[in-house]
Amino acid sequence: MHIADLLTPARVVADVRATSKKRLLEQLANLLDDGESADTERAIYDSLVKRERLGSTGLSHGVAIPHGRSAAIQRASGAFVRLADPVDFGAIDGQPVDLVFALVVPEHFTDQHLMFLAELAETFSDSAMLARLRAARDAQHLFELLTRAPERTAAA
Amino acid sequence: MEAVLHGFNAITLFIAAIVVVSVLSTIFSFRAGAPILLVFLGVGFLAGEDGIGRVDFDDAEVAFKVGSIALALILFDSGFGTPLRSFRAAAAPAITLATVGVLLTTALFALAARALLPLDWGQALLLGAILASTDAAAVFFLLRAGGIHLRDRVRSTLEVESGSNDPMAIFLTIALVGALSAASAGWSWTDALLEFARQMGLGLAFGWVGGHIVRQAVNRLPLEIGLYPVLVAALAIAGFALTNLAGGSGFLAVYVAGLLAAGERIRHANELKRFQQGLTWLAQIAMFVTLGLLATPSEFPAVLLPGVLLGLFLVFVARPLAVGLCLLPFRMSWQENLFVGFVGLRGAVSILLAILPLMAALPDARLLFNIAFIAVLVSLVVQGWGLAPVARALHLVVPERHGAIDRIQLDLPDEAAHELVAYRLAADSPLIAERRMPRWVRPALVVRDGRSIRSMRVERLRAGDVIYVFVRPHRIPLLDRLVASPRAPDKSDREFFGDFAVDLDVPVADLADFYGGDVHADKRGLSVRHFLEREFGDAVEVGDRIGLGAIELIVREVDERQRVVEAGLAVTPRG
Repeated sequence: MHIADLLTPARVVADVRATSKKRLLEQLANLLDDGESADTERAIYDSLVKRERLGSTGLSHGVAIPHGRSAAIQRASGAFVRLADPVDFGAIDGQPVDLVFALVVPEHFTDQHLMFLAELAETFSDSAMLARLRAARDAQHLFELLTRAPERTAAA
Repeated sequence: MEAVLHGFNAITLFIAAIVVVSVLSTIFSFRAGAPILLVFLGVGFLAGEDGIGRVDFDDAEVAFKVGSIALALILFDSGFGTPLRSFRAAAAPAITLATVGVLLTTALFALAARALLPLDWGQALLLGAILASTDAAAVFFLLRAGGIHLRDRVRSTLEVESGSNDPMAIFLTIALVGALSAASAGWSWTDALLEFARQMGLGLAFGWVGGHIVRQAVNRLPLEIGLYPVLVAALAIAGFALTNLAGGSGFLAVYVAGLLAAGERIRHANELKRFQQGLTWLAQIAMFVTLGLLATPSEFPAVLLPGVLLGLFLVFVARPLAVGLCLLPFRMSWQENLFVGFVGLRGAVSILLAILPLMAALPDARLLFNIAFIAVLVSLVVQGWGLAPVARALHLVVPERHGAIDRIQLDLPDEAAHELVAYRLAADSPLIAERRMPRWVRPALVVRDGRSIRSMRVERLRAGDVIYVFVRPHRIPLLDRLVASPRAPDKSDREFFGDFAVDLDVPVADLADFYGGDVHADKRGLSVRHFLEREFGDAVEVGDRIGLGAIELIVREVDERQRVVEAGLAVTPRG
């Protein structure tokens, strides 16, 4: 169970422009549903928003991990964007965020949900990793960094 | 009748005396740092035909049977003692080592054996297979009792490898003995591969089922407490024999069964572990002493030189090379790679396997046995004594954390898993510097200067105090840090403060529903703030934490009027 299992190159995007938290979540939902249907995209967006109402998923140091469970999807998937300009996400340290990983899992994935979240939180609390993600040239490079991450942390 | 009883008593006395001498020799072994298994073998030598005991024991078949049962018990216990979490972390590299690694070691060793001894290729390969597996008991013992603290992944890799490569080496040896003794009679590679698939497949399947049976039996049957370990040991041996009867690998089955039986949690784990610990010791003594008895050391000098050379080749060339190749895809550092290569202790399993050619009456079987025996001795001496210096030279010894000095798992009713954990406080422990500590860290008991004091009467903790804390197992790593790490956690510390911030005004029911899990009906209406206040009242403190369905809520900040102003949420799944 690794981040690599969640991502595809198409769902990692560099230098995204988003004007607000709401717009950002919409774009993430759009990435996450892989062009399935407008209904699925809507359901994913709703699940992300539902979670944000319980408290921001912004961590400190410019990172956010919006996440949700939804009956509309069959498999766990993730999307990662690096923003061109940081967006206010209501994070605990007040910093706007520029690195955002969104996770959606099927409704019944209770345990996996928590395990993925724990791994994401671990990965994104590593300041060297954040520096590498911010310095990465392009989406391809971001994808490589993220999918290589679990091995790297395990061997550190 | 009297004569019969006399003989019986004499034998009983002899066996018991051997066990007593073996046990007492461990004291010497700890003092001298001598590999303990070497000492057990020595006891066997001494009792044997060339020693002071003058026992002329030459029954290879009996030795093999005793050794097999002993090994089955040891493997079950080593599976039982490996937490599933470590297994998962180390499974890929360890299983590569246990399969590909065994084949590579066999092949490399055969090259050298063929060069140094008058053997044909079949015999050389057979000797390689005999010496291809590392000894679970030896590796476990050295890693656990050797006072060497390794990174978890390296340690788990070694432990899982040593537990799981025996079935492979055993299969390979039996297959080669079959090929050589039949020497044509219909032996073919396809048959051998099919046989391999059947042995491992059935071994896994029987082990899987057996592990669950053991687990359910312990968790459900209402037995007298002392009977659980007896039941488990009997089930393990029954599973071993049944798997063998069905044509599977009984050794693989017991290892898998042990692993799954313990799982994340089994009732009476303390009793089971203690009993099995004793049983494993007894099994090791039985195995090594029997094998020591079986050997005829006076035959060794004739083949000493090639034996020692091959032993050194195994330790310094074959094993490191095989390990290096196997671990290439796993991104271990070169130091770790070297170390795993070095810790390939051979032991009783190799000697046990060397009996097989004797039983099959293969030509040169005695030579193979003696060479294997000498190579094992070389490995025990070089690797057993060299382990700690090598680990230090490679900078792999993680500084010892001031971890718990004792852990006692309590079997409380209603699945309320708690452990009683004891720590001796060092002068730099944050608990001494901090005036306030989270409530769940508060010791139930403090022992100071040999007197026990109830913790509410302790004004301030001091260096040297031994504290006893009741804690849920998943919090122990955190507790280790709070008690032992030289600095107190800061606010960005995820483990201490949780992964996400949480809004104090949202209903706890929404949170619980979002992440899954149940909340008691009369608490569902509460907000996070009220939930925490109701739980902790005026005495709330930073770091207080409480489960909510599948997650945990954590108090991050408290104002001067003892009101919660910030809370966090931990998603770390509970083991």
